[in-house]
Amino acid sequence: MEFKKHILDNGLAVVGEVNSFAKSAAIGFFVKTGSRDEIKQISGVSHFLEHMLFKGTDKLGPLEVNEAFDRLGAHYNAFTSEENTVFYAAVLPEHLADAAQLWTHLMRPALRDDDFNMEKNVIKEEIAMYEDTPSYDVIDKARSLYFDSHPCGNTVLGTRQSIDALTAKQMHDYFTARYSPNNMTVALAGNFDWDKTLRLIAEHCGLWRQQTVTRQTKDYPGSLKSERLQKASLKREHICIISPAVPMQDKRRFAASILAAVIGDNVGSRYFWALVDKALAETATMQCESMDRTGAFFSYIRCGSESSQKVLDAVKAIFDDLDTNGITASELSAAKNKILSALVLKNEIPMGRLVSLGFNWVYLNEYRSTEQDIDDVKAVGIDDVNSLIKHFRPGRFTQFILGPGSDTSIQS
Amino acid sequence: MTDKHVLKNGMVILGEPMESVQSVAFGFMLPAGASRLPDGCCGAANIIEDWIFRGAAELDNRTLNDTLDSLGLNRSSSVNTSHLGIGGALVADNLAAALELYAKITIQPRLDDEQFEPAKQLALDHLAGLDDEPRHKVMLKLKENFYPQPLGRSTAGEPDQLKALNAEKTRRLTKQYFNLSQTIFVVAGRYDFDAICKQMEELFDTGPQEKLKEIELSGKGTKYTHIHNDGAQVHIGLCTPTVRPGDDEYYNARIAVSVLSGGMSSRLFTEVREKRGLCYAIGANYHGLKEAAGIICYAGTVPQSAQQTLDVIIEEFEKLKDGISDEEIVRAKVGLESALIMSSESSTSRAAHIASDYFLLGRVRSLDEIKEKIEQTGTESVLKFLRQKTFDDYTVVTIGPKKVTVK
Repeated sequence: MEFKKHILDNGLAVVGEVNSFAKSAAIGFFVKTGSRDEIKQISGVSHFLEHMLFKGTDKLGPLEVNEAFDRLGAHYNAFTSEENTVFYAAVLPEHLADAAQLWTHLMRPALRDDDFNMEKNVIKEEIAMYEDTPSYDVIDKARSLYFDSHPCGNTVLGTRQSIDALTAKQMHDYFTARYSPNNMTVALAGNFDWDKTLRLIAEHCGLWRQQTVTRQTKDYPGSLKSERLQKASLKREHICIISPAVPMQDKRRFAASILAAVIGDNVGSRYFWALVDKALAETATMQCESMDRTGAFFSYIRCGSESSQKVLDAVKAIFDDLDTNGITASELSAAKNKILSALVLKNEIPMGRLVSLGFNWVYLNEYRSTEQDIDDVKAVGIDDVNSLIKHFRPGRFTQFILGPGSDTSIQS
Repeated sequence: MTDKHVLKNGMVILGEPMESVQSVAFGFMLPAGASRLPDGCCGAANIIEDWIFRGAAELDNRTLNDTLDSLGLNRSSSVNTSHLGIGGALVADNLAAALELYAKITIQPRLDDEQFEPAKQLALDHLAGLDDEPRHKVMLKLKENFYPQPLGRSTAGEPDQLKALNAEKTRRLTKQYFNLSQTIFVVAGRYDFDAICKQMEELFDTGPQEKLKEIELSGKGTKYTHIHNDGAQVHIGLCTPTVRPGDDEYYNARIAVSVLSGGMSSRLFTEVREKRGLCYAIGANYHGLKEAAGIICYAGTVPQSAQQTLDVIIEEFEKLKDGISDEEIVRAKVGLESALIMSSESSTSRAAHIASDYFLLGRVRSLDEIKEKIEQTGTESVLKFLRQKTFDDYTVVTIGPKKVTVK
C-alpha cells in the first residue's frame, strides 16, 4: 500500500492509496455538505443536488451519463448524509481513468429545469419509500428530536412541501456555495496509476473557483426529550434512543465504537442477552456515529407493543449496571475481536478502503492505514471505555417510539 | 481453481484460495431449507436457525456464544428455499477454532426445551415484523405465488404452522434434516486446505446418512394477489418464468435481464424512473433455483402511479424481443463481467458463489469459464432466445393502499 496526496492550488485535495495487487480501483468525490448545512427554506437540497449531478453537464444528457458509466462496467452511485455528499465508482483498473474523468465533468452539472422538475417526482417517491420503512423513519425522527434546533437534526430527504417549494435558483446558489474545490476531497483506492489520474484531475478540476465555505460545528448534548408517534398501520414498536458520543476528531472514537459493540452488537452484547435472547425484542442494536465536532450513540430496537415497557426497563437496567460496574474484560476483548475482523474484511476491497480514506481526510486531514486503525482498536483499555460511560452517561437519552400503540405512559 | 474433497460421511468440502486477503469466510449449507421440510412445518427452519446456537455439546447458551464472539467471528445465518446456511467470516488464524464450534453446533446442538420458546417467539416476531417491511414481504409473497409448491414456501415461515410447532417435533426435524451426507461446506480466502480437510474429517467422523426424499412439485399460486395496507406506496412485485441456471440459454437470459435492468442506462430504469419519474426504486433480477427460475422485478410507487408503473414495466419486458442494440449488449456484458471480477475480491462473496454453483450445477464454474460464456453471447443469440421464450406469463403481487389491474 502506498499513500499519495496532492492539494491543487484551488484547495481541492486529492488522496490515494495504491494497491497494485487489487483487481479493481475506486474513486470518490467527497463533498463536505449535507442537511446540516441547509436552512429550512431549502430543506432536502443537498440530497436533491446529489440526484441532479447524474443529470449531466452542458455537453452530456442524463441518459448519456448512465450509458457512459455502464459502458465502463462501473459500480457507481452516491449518498447524502447530514454532513457529506459522496459520489463514487468502483471499476476494473483499466477503466479508472475514464470513470475519474466522467466524475470530474459531472461535478460541474448543468442543473437543467426539465430534469429538476422531473426529478422532484423521484425524490418524493424516495420520501414515500422511507415512510414505508419504519426502521429508517424512526431513526430520522429520533435524530430530529435529539438535535432539536441544532442543524444536525435536519432531515436529509426534506419533506414533500420543501421539495415542491424548492426552486432551481436556490439549488444553483447552494451548489455554488458548497461545491467549492476547497470543500471537496477526491479519494482513490486500489489498483490505479496515481500520476496519470492526478494529472487528469488537475486538468479538469484545477480551474474551479474557490469560495469561502463555513459550517456551524457547535457540539450538542441532546434534548433528552421523549416522544411517541402512533401509526395504526404498523404491527411492531420501533424504538430509537440517542445519547451523546465523541466526534470524529476525538481519538476516543475507537473506545466509543467498542462501547457500542459491547452494548448493542447484534449478537453477544448486553442488548442481545437482555432483549433478543429472551425474545423480548427481535432486533436491538447500537452504533456510535461520530460526526463533525459532535457525535451520538444510536440504538434501534424492534418489539411487540406488549413488550415495550419491559424492553425499556431492561434497557434502563443495562445502563444502570454499566454506570455502576462498567464493562468487563471479556466484553472488551470480544468487542475488539469483532471490530477487528470487520475492519479487516471491509478494507480488503478497494471500495471499503475508499470510504475510510476519504472520510479520514475529510474529518482529520490525515491518512490512516488499516494497520493504524487496527493498532488503535487494540490499544483501547477497559478504563478508556469505562471513563466514556462516566463522561457521556449513555443512560441519559432522547427517545422516539413509532408504533401501533398509543400508550404514552411508557417511560424509560 | 477450486479445491474439493469429499469427507467419509459424504459432506463435500469446497475451497477457493485468495492470496491477497487476511480473512477467511466459511459456510455450512445444511439441507434444511424451507422447501425441504415436510408439509405443515413452514417456519421450522427459522426456529432451528436460532435454537442451535443456544448451546451445543458441553457448552451452554452463554458459553457457546461468548466463545464464538471471542474469535471475532462476523456471524451469518439464513434460511433459503433449499438450505439452512450457517457460517461467517473472520481473521484466518481463528478458523480452526471456529470450525470446532460449528461441528458441535451441527452435530450436537443441545436443543434444550427451555430454549425452544424464545427461539420460536423470535421466529414469530420476525414474521410479524414483515408487515412493517412491505418491500421485503411483497417479494416473499411473489415467490410463494410464482414457484410451484413447495419451492415457493415462505422462507420466513407461516404463522399458524409456526405456532403449532413444539420442541419435540422441531428437534426431530433438526436431527433428520441436518443430513451431513448432503451438506456442502465452503471456505474462501486465506486457508490451508489440507489442514482443513484433516480437521473436518476428524470433527465430522459421523458415518454416512440416508439420502433425504426428493421434493415433489405441485400447483402454483394465483396470478395476482393484492394485500391491502395503508402505507405511502404501492409495492409491486412481478415475476415471469425463464431458464434455469444449468440451461444452455442461461447466459442469454442473464444478458437479457441485464439489458432490462443492469445499470442505470438499462430499459427499466430509463423508462420508469428517468423518463417518467414514476419510481425511486425499480429493478429486476435473475432468480434461479435448481428446479425453476424467474425474472423478478420490484417497483415502489405512490398509489396514483401504480397502474402506469406496472403497465410500463410489462411493456418493457415485452418490447425486449423486438430489438436490442449492439451497444446495449456490450454494456450488459461489460457490466456482468466487471461485477463478477469485483465480487471475487471479497472472501464472503466468493464463498457464496462456490456454494451456490456446486448446489445448482454440481460443479464450480471458474471466473474464466463464466467470462468466456458471457463473451459468446451476442445481439443475435439474445434476441433468438427472447423470441423463443417470449414473456407472456406474469405473476404479480401488490401491497399498498390501491390495487392494480393485471391485463
